[in-house]
Amino acid sequence: MTTVERQVRRVGNETHSRSFGKVSRTDFVRYAGAGGDFNPMHHDDDFARAAGYPTVFGHGLLTAGLLSSFVADWLGLLHLRRLKVRYVDQVWPGSELVATGRVREFLEVAGEARLVADLTVADRAGSEERIVLRGEVEALRKVGVDGG
Amino acid sequence: MAHEEAVGRESVPFEFRVETGKVREFARAVHATNTLHHEEEAALAAGYGGVVAPPTFSVSSQQWVPSGTEDGLGIELDLSRVLAGGAEWEYSRPITAGERLQVTTRIADVQHKTGRLGGMRVVVRETHFVDEHGETPLIARSTVIELDHAPAAGAGHDHG
Repeated sequence: MTTVERQVRRVGNETHSRSFGKVSRTDFVRYAGAGGDFNPMHHDDDFARAAGYPTVFGHGLLTAGLLSSFVADWLGLLHLRRLKVRYVDQVWPGSELVATGRVREFLEVAGEARLVADLTVADRAGSEERIVLRGEVEALRKVGVDGG
Repeated sequence: MAHEEAVGRESVPFEFRVETGKVREFARAVHATNTLHHEEEAALAAGYGGVVAPPTFSVSSQQWVPSGTEDGLGIELDLSRVLAGGAEWEYSRPITAGERLQVTTRIADVQHKTGRLGGMRVVVRETHFVDEHGETPLIARSTVIELDHAPAAGAGHDHG
């Protein structure tokens, strides 16, 4: 049972991340077109200010999409089984986004060896890191991922 | 008004054609660089029928909802008070360009809650994507929050 011990010990020890750099209004507009979400909150500063915000802010689904690109590269595009996200704060023009994942547990579902990982997206533009999204992903275990 | 009576309402199904150019455009917008999203030959060589959609691509289907068929399923939202709450995707296989999926959305939950930003209505929509064989490769859920008062109103700000 050496294998099991090794797996258990390694779960949660390793974090993986990807930096997406600064996001701009152009990124918001490109996502609006690609995703088909033209809520003016994401491209019209007058509309956003009238609603009480300092500027436009990014679509939650843009942040989720960036996160999913990182997760797919890390765990395997074809291995994803479930992805869940919760938006906890706004992404502003100039936010510097970093997606991070950490394997939480291994499990077996429907005869498949899977893993569950905790996910965050943070904005590192300010003096203190600010979490903008929390999530989790369930995926098939790929050889080489955190002792799998 | 929380509109709890809307729970269970279901949209008329519509067809979502997964198109190569749209997959590439979406992949670019979310910085998805895997060649399977961008190069048809790579996708075909890997055994897929076309370029592979990124994990959250399904959201783009909502722009093809035929006008008048869904209309928020009886839930009108004021965009100046709306925030995205979250989303979830369950996959049984990847979706690829060339597919024609039947899309149906139902209101899974409506609740009124009180949180950090005051009172809010929380609406959960669940969307099923059914392929030509009657299988469901993807189920997507989205949570939308409508604040009782826009942030400006809460601050006593007069914005006309």
